[in-house]
Amino acid sequence: MKRGIIHGLLPLLLPYCALFCAGLALTLAQSLGLFLPLGSGEVSIEHYQTLIQDQGIRQSLGLSLSVAFFSATGSVLGGTVLALALWRMPPSLRRVGVVSKVGLILPHVAVAFLVLLLLSRTGLVASVLFQTGIISSPEEFPSILHTGSGLGMILAFLLKGVPFALLLIGAVLFGFDIRLIQTARMLGAGPLRTFRSVTLPRLLPAMHSAFIILFLYAFGSFDIPFVLGESHPGMLSIRVFDIFFQRDLSQRPQAMAILTLMFVFAALFAMLYNRFAAYLDGWRRKL
Amino acid sequence: MRVIFFLSLFLALTAGCSEAPHEESVLRQDYASLENLARGTEVRWHMWGGSAQINQWVDTYVAGEMKRLHDINVVRVPMDAPVFVNKLLTEKAASKNTGTMDLLWINGENFKNSMQAGVLFGPFTDRLPNFTAWYDPQKSAHDFGFPVNGFEAPYGQAQFVFEYDTQRTPVPPATLAELADWIRANPGRFTYPQPPDFTGSAFLRQIFYATTGGHEQYMVGFNPDLYAKNAPLTFAWLGELKPYLWQEGRTYPKNAAALDTLFARGEIDMAMSYHPAHAQMKILEKTYPDTAKTFVLAEGAIFNTHFTAIPFNAPNKAGAMVLANFLMSPEAQLSKFKPENWGDLPALEIGKLDEAQRQAFEAVDLGAATLGADALSAAAVPEIASEYLELLERDWDTIILGH
Repeated sequence: MKRGIIHGLLPLLLPYCALFCAGLALTLAQSLGLFLPLGSGEVSIEHYQTLIQDQGIRQSLGLSLSVAFFSATGSVLGGTVLALALWRMPPSLRRVGVVSKVGLILPHVAVAFLVLLLLSRTGLVASVLFQTGIISSPEEFPSILHTGSGLGMILAFLLKGVPFALLLIGAVLFGFDIRLIQTARMLGAGPLRTFRSVTLPRLLPAMHSAFIILFLYAFGSFDIPFVLGESHPGMLSIRVFDIFFQRDLSQRPQAMAILTLMFVFAALFAMLYNRFAAYLDGWRRKL
Repeated sequence: MRVIFFLSLFLALTAGCSEAPHEESVLRQDYASLENLARGTEVRWHMWGGSAQINQWVDTYVAGEMKRLHDINVVRVPMDAPVFVNKLLTEKAASKNTGTMDLLWINGENFKNSMQAGVLFGPFTDRLPNFTAWYDPQKSAHDFGFPVNGFEAPYGQAQFVFEYDTQRTPVPPATLAELADWIRANPGRFTYPQPPDFTGSAFLRQIFYATTGGHEQYMVGFNPDLYAKNAPLTFAWLGELKPYLWQEGRTYPKNAAALDTLFARGEIDMAMSYHPAHAQMKILEKTYPDTAKTFVLAEGAIFNTHFTAIPFNAPNKAGAMVLANFLMSPEAQLSKFKPENWGDLPALEIGKLDEAQRQAFEAVDLGAATLGADALSAAAVPEIASEYLELLERDWDTIILGH
């Protein structure tokens, strides 16, 4: 069966893999100092060494990781809570859930601009507060977008991520056999116990998938950081863009080295996370 | 984003190679036969597309005149300089000898990068009659300290000015010291675009000149010891004022457009531009208040020339040379100089023109917000070698941003 699927997909898979692998190989080669427009043409790992010693890159990595972690965690939790709330509603009211589609339809860039328009110091919220006299000058409005913590970006990722997680988790919930819950209740389980032993285990795979997808997207994404990012430390993706397009050509291998490391990290993260999830699952079943 | 980038890389790598016809012969022909060769062809001009007004001027005036005079179709392709330089490097690596770009609007480190990688065609400016007739070869012999050697044709000039609003700031600072006092007296009302943005980087050089005793010492090529001795003064000045900047200097507008927006919205009281008529343009656009004006510091205002160049693999080199020549003509320079068209400073020698043409240039009024030619030329100081520029940008990152 599985072989049949692969055979069917082959015409699509081949060019995709060829393109993807070629790009990856070139990135790796350039990060090692090969195939460069300028340079000695000798293999060296000095660009990786420079990166590892660079304080700024470490801070950027920290920011990228924390933005990715908080936005993915928040999205999955928010999506789960909303999915459960929708699921509990009488079917006639469930149509409310359509509202969440808005976040899915809007492109990331549009969401970033929405956040910018609403929350900058001269944005809509500040203007309304100022006009109604709640604050006496725009300077009094808290600087949400420029705290250095990536809060603005996290908000934008949440606006995109919560509906996405809701979609994945809701799909599982709405296909859920209600009799399982009724059985648990009949056997004397309270609502909490029912949730923990019956509902949650069936939701977890969807939650894990949503988390991985959202985490890795936010970690490597460019659009939201480009609009809402701050000067310092700056997300890794913005740093790569900056080095690649706006700096001297001799620095290009550094950009490629960051990209290579980001790719390796993403692949490792997905693998380890899946193992961790499986381990947790096995551990829970033993209880 | 990444995927698209790789796709384009790969496509460029797998694209076929072909031989370029009449490559060398273009440089051996006289201009009249070049014109004949170019008649009825299409020239694809790749240029920065960030200004609606400039785009309009190219699409109407330049395209119309080129059609009328030479029966050439000018196609404007909006593309940032670093992007087309990248494209050229990739094409060179893949030995793609027939590209898609005929003429480029380029200068500064993008030119230097292209020259070092050998992706430009030339030298060609000595073949262009308008260049020999109206231009001073000395003035455009260097681009950010890098020798031009006839590989790019000058077609305009720009100069760095500060912008302010007389309503909010009746008297602007006149010197660097006064600017520092003004910034301290108005916390949160001043910022500059984050280098390596073009405008932000120019501000950095402006401060570098002003805090280290002028530009003359840097005109003899790059000297690392001199930089090491002088740069700390610049960063001390910037670092000391950092807490008084917009957002306490923790964050900076990403580019000149973001800075303009902050100024237009009243979030800051001062802006800057590498284009003297930019404030006037913004007033005409109704984004800046009518009370906006510009000023320069007594320590000098950097000016530079912008150029056009031809890629090594341009499919229509003859057409590109005809267009580069037209852009240098007195008619095109005058049209470009008018603020309703663009307001870009002419690159030609007004002194070489005949009386009527000279008067036409002198009659151009760049608007109330723009400084007069005398004020600008009195403050004009040349650009610096790009090695300094790169070091300044790098150190700004670690010293100013990293703390």
